[in-house]
Amino acid sequence: MSTETATPVTRPEAPARSWRGLGWGFLVKLLLMMIVNAVGLSIIMSAWAVEAWAVLAASALLLVAANWVYFARRTLPLKYIFPGLVFLLIFQVFVMGYTAYVATTNYGAGHNVDKGQAIDAALINAERRVEDSATYPLTVVRDGDTIGFAVTSASGAVQVGTEEEPLAAVDGATADGSGRPTEVPGWEVVSLNELLSDQALAQEVTQLRVPVSDEADEGSLRTREGSTAAVYRSSLTWDEEADALVDSDSGVTYTANEYGTFVGDDGSTLPVGYRVGIGAENFVKAVTDPDLAAPLLKVAAWTFAFAFLTVATSFLLGLFFALIYNDDRLKGKKTLRTLFILPYAFPAFLTALLWRGMLNAEFGVINDWFFFGANINWLGDPWLAKFSILFVNLWLSYPYWFLVCTGALQSLPSETTEAAKIDGAGRWRQFRSITFPLLMVSTAPLAIASFAFNFNNFTIIYMLTNGGPRFTDTSVPLGSTDILITAIYQISGVAGGRADYGLASALSIVVFVVVGIVSAIAFRQTKKLEEF
Amino acid sequence: MATTAPSAPSTSRRQPTRRSRWWLEVGWKYPLAVLIIFYAAFPLVFVLSASLDEGGNLRGTESLFSSISFENYANLNDTLFWTWVGNTLIIGAAAAVGAVLMGACAAYAFSRFRFQGRRFSLTGLLILQMFPQTVAFVAVFLLLLALGEVVPSLGIDSKIALICVYWGTALGANTFLMYGFFNSIPSEMDEAAKIDGATHAQIFWKLIMPLVTPILAVVGLLAFVAAFGDFILAKIILVSNDNWTLAIGMYAWVSDQLTARWGIFSAGTVIAALPVLVLFLTLQRYIVGGLTSGSVKG
Amino acid sequence: MRNTIGKVVIAATSVALLAACSSGTTDDEPSDAMSEEPTPAASETSDAIDATGLSLTIWVDENREPAVAAAAETFMEETGATVELVQKNFEDIRADFLAQVPTGEGPDITIGAHDWLGALIEGGVVNTVDLGENASSFAQVAVDAMTYDGQLYGMPYSTETIALIQNTDLVGEDAPATWDDMIQAGIDSGADRPFCINTNGETGDGYTMYPFQTSFGAPVFVQENGSYTSEVGMGGEAGEAFATWLGENGEKGEGYISTTVDYDINNQLFNSGECAYTIQGPWALGSFTDVNFTVNPVPSAGGETASPFVGVQGFYVSSQSENALLANTFLTNYVATPEAMQALYDADPRLPAFEGVDTASAPYPDAIAGFQASAEGGVPMPSIPEMGSVWDFWNAAESAIIKGADPVETWNKMITDLTASLEG
Repeated sequence: MSTETATPVTRPEAPARSWRGLGWGFLVKLLLMMIVNAVGLSIIMSAWAVEAWAVLAASALLLVAANWVYFARRTLPLKYIFPGLVFLLIFQVFVMGYTAYVATTNYGAGHNVDKGQAIDAALINAERRVEDSATYPLTVVRDGDTIGFAVTSASGAVQVGTEEEPLAAVDGATADGSGRPTEVPGWEVVSLNELLSDQALAQEVTQLRVPVSDEADEGSLRTREGSTAAVYRSSLTWDEEADALVDSDSGVTYTANEYGTFVGDDGSTLPVGYRVGIGAENFVKAVTDPDLAAPLLKVAAWTFAFAFLTVATSFLLGLFFALIYNDDRLKGKKTLRTLFILPYAFPAFLTALLWRGMLNAEFGVINDWFFFGANINWLGDPWLAKFSILFVNLWLSYPYWFLVCTGALQSLPSETTEAAKIDGAGRWRQFRSITFPLLMVSTAPLAIASFAFNFNNFTIIYMLTNGGPRFTDTSVPLGSTDILITAIYQISGVAGGRADYGLASALSIVVFVVVGIVSAIAFRQTKKLEEF
Repeated sequence: MATTAPSAPSTSRRQPTRRSRWWLEVGWKYPLAVLIIFYAAFPLVFVLSASLDEGGNLRGTESLFSSISFENYANLNDTLFWTWVGNTLIIGAAAAVGAVLMGACAAYAFSRFRFQGRRFSLTGLLILQMFPQTVAFVAVFLLLLALGEVVPSLGIDSKIALICVYWGTALGANTFLMYGFFNSIPSEMDEAAKIDGATHAQIFWKLIMPLVTPILAVVGLLAFVAAFGDFILAKIILVSNDNWTLAIGMYAWVSDQLTARWGIFSAGTVIAALPVLVLFLTLQRYIVGGLTSGSVKG
Repeated sequence: MRNTIGKVVIAATSVALLAACSSGTTDDEPSDAMSEEPTPAASETSDAIDATGLSLTIWVDENREPAVAAAAETFMEETGATVELVQKNFEDIRADFLAQVPTGEGPDITIGAHDWLGALIEGGVVNTVDLGENASSFAQVAVDAMTYDGQLYGMPYSTETIALIQNTDLVGEDAPATWDDMIQAGIDSGADRPFCINTNGETGDGYTMYPFQTSFGAPVFVQENGSYTSEVGMGGEAGEAFATWLGENGEKGEGYISTTVDYDINNQLFNSGECAYTIQGPWALGSFTDVNFTVNPVPSAGGETASPFVGVQGFYVSSQSENALLANTFLTNYVATPEAMQALYDADPRLPAFEGVDTASAPYPDAIAGFQASAEGGVPMPSIPEMGSVWDFWNAAESAIIKGADPVETWNKMITDLTASLEG
């Protein structure tokens, strides 16, 4: 976003006035920049304190940029764009970049966590309570840095053990009524109170396994809540050097493959894997998988049709109403307008659900009131469902266009229409060749923005039809009213099913690139944009 | 809609009386208005009916207003409804103000200055908002986690964080929208002011901003309504229920179809529609008839 | 806010009252502490515990919030720890738990359904739990449902299932033995519809339809030694017979089953006496205020026992919890107790998974018995991760068949697609 030097605009300034203007403006600017710098520096300092290097680098960069933008002379346009740009970069561009990164991983069901967490989970899954083993009253004891378990066996004897030392009886220990040891010679008793209030110690205790005997097979004691212990045996161990999980029962060694799945040397796999980068594989699948490509093409076509038709119909209806009711001879215009825009005041997801009920083939009021109780399956037939979506969205969005068009109509220079009237142009010609083109100047950008909004109008589709009725000729769970955003949502598996965030992210990127190219070309073709 | 001059006697075609002329040109608009109001409002009658029925549901059946009770409205007081109203108003207002200010600044820059990459950036901004954000929640969540460690008020479960996320979309959604309107203000006006010695900041705040009020109102309204109705981002960011907005809170009442409380939900909706309506009525003045005649480039 | 606190206080006092009553009137409590496996009861250790400054985060949905809040209140009073209850939509919890636990931002404990278990394990986000001293009081079927590959991952607290609900004024109290008997009785009663069933509108609802499917001997997955394999079991002749039956009774056939009926409409039809029979869960009873009804097991349509899915709900502990010790203390000493289980039941009456819970406080105590009978003939909902992929295909196929698509062809296509999706 560099700037051109020759902005003839800024040159001719009357010295005296510009000095005064600069003075005030400069003071305000200085004050604002002082605040910005103070906030920025404090963010940098606290980022330093918590060692968040990425945040530190980004905020330092933005702060330097802010100072440059607002104190350099050649950055005039950026002075206006910068605040919005900062938020755009952080909250939108970064999010897109991160989605692109996720697209290169296999993040999803079975590859949900990082490697360390996956190993943790595998070890948790493999550690089982020894069948029919007893539960022991437990007290945590310590000797310097060594933590141990003191338990009372069924016979009443108190035994102590640590990670290294298996359980062994100690003499002279006492226990309370519930059986928990209260005093253990040679050890300092850690009260539950102390244990629970010391998070680090508590974590150490949950990690601690005390062997029951020298025989590793007999298992070891562990505690979950700090007052009882039970005997557990883990069949799996993590061999850090070999980078593998070893099953001591079956002798199988599980090593991670390039997909982050632990595969045993007998071909079996562990349920938990971790997420790894898999390069462009998701993109290849998104583009080439015939199960995805064919339905997604249909979905894409409907998305464009839906967005375009929604804007076109609601614009025309809104305009029509605006033309009729932009009439000074009418009384109570304000009241009428307020009533006309009612649908816009209610949240869309509520009204979409409402329409879903009203369009029910057998019980809905639409069939009952307007179609003499006919059994028209509005939401069950592919074409009727598409029509219903457009109809409901028309109801939802015409008020907006009504308002905008009324505003635009009133702003039209009255001389032009007067002149046309004198020329004897009929109403239709007047509208077509004068009013409408003038109207388009101010409403076209709104229409394009509305198109972009409806392109991703998740709520209406999700609440009204949830994409249905389903395509019958494909194996992916998509339907004939799905638009791209709901299709990707469906594939991502957030709502249920097998999550595949990697693939869904790749689809988002592919769709975005395609839509971006198509839109860029389309805008290039529009003459309006050529004027810019 | 065939209401055109129903009462006009056949003779009047040859010799139109004042009355039939009135019917032809103005009068028929009233019956049509009734039709439009029916179209606009009849679905909402179901909401009203459900809100007055204790066991209300939204399945449009014909038994309208079978029972009238204000129980649902009273029950709103047992919930965090009013807290949510407050949150929603704060978040919506902040989002709207931010969107208007940042969008207006950017649109001014794009409209009045000529710089390299200008057209490219403009198209880029427009295309940016077409990004399908469904899977972006992972990224948003992680981003706020990282930010929250440094600046707690920008972390998860912070209204400020949500407002910032909404501001992130301000430029993409609004610049293009406002840009066209800014262009319709003749640049000769700036030139004249410049010759008078006004700085670009003065031109922007004192000259341009008052002239573009209608589009500011439109953008403010859109941003407010978007923040009002959003529950995908809000649900991820606002964790604790006294930070919720109306959309998340009320959606929670009905999200589980097995225990859906449509009655209280409808009552909430009726009340929640009021702020938007009030905003509409206030802004209507600026949007409708707010444009000075002749300011649109002919 | 004020009102939430109010509810909590009420719930807490009721717990205290219950505790006071039981220790005052019976000898059970003291003798418990003397039993052969002496572990500290909550009340005894409570003085010793001081976890001030530590905080447990628990995800809970709106319905169960008051119940968990009651248990948490006692816990907070006795330990000084803070319990932060985060209210979420039940349907969001699964995905959010999977996504947030790996970031370290997830909760220590969450409420959840047992059929999420496979996905949670595959995602590596859930830890194993112990039931503590009251382990034997938990219903075996509930414990089994929370068990995966021999390991217990969740503390169950309620079970739920669907059953046949009949309008006693129309068709009396007797349970029909077969589908045909039921339809006949329904027709004889003169009701508009002999039977109605929720198909979740156009979406289809394999869950509610499942008892009929199992009565044809077509389980969703093949079962081996009581646990489900990932082999689809509803294909073949049994599945085709069910599909044919579904088509015959669908919109193009007899019309007893229709995709115009969703949850609300179904309940409305039954409550207005237009339906003689329906299939619903205990959660719907509140909608049946205008009719007299009784609850019975679902009749068989295909000759074998009609087995509905039994779902179990309980508490999961995060595998990445930094307060695992505290979380387990909370669950074993403050949730797995008769008082807490009673409070959970009172706040949200579902079939309890804990013996000794007094169900008399339910609005429909008789109905509970009916649902319990239905659950006894039920099968646990599969908790293997593959189950997540089934719903979309299954529901859509049923919806299509009900609407009149060729039953056998549609069904077999669904089986093929589903199998392909599970393999891919």
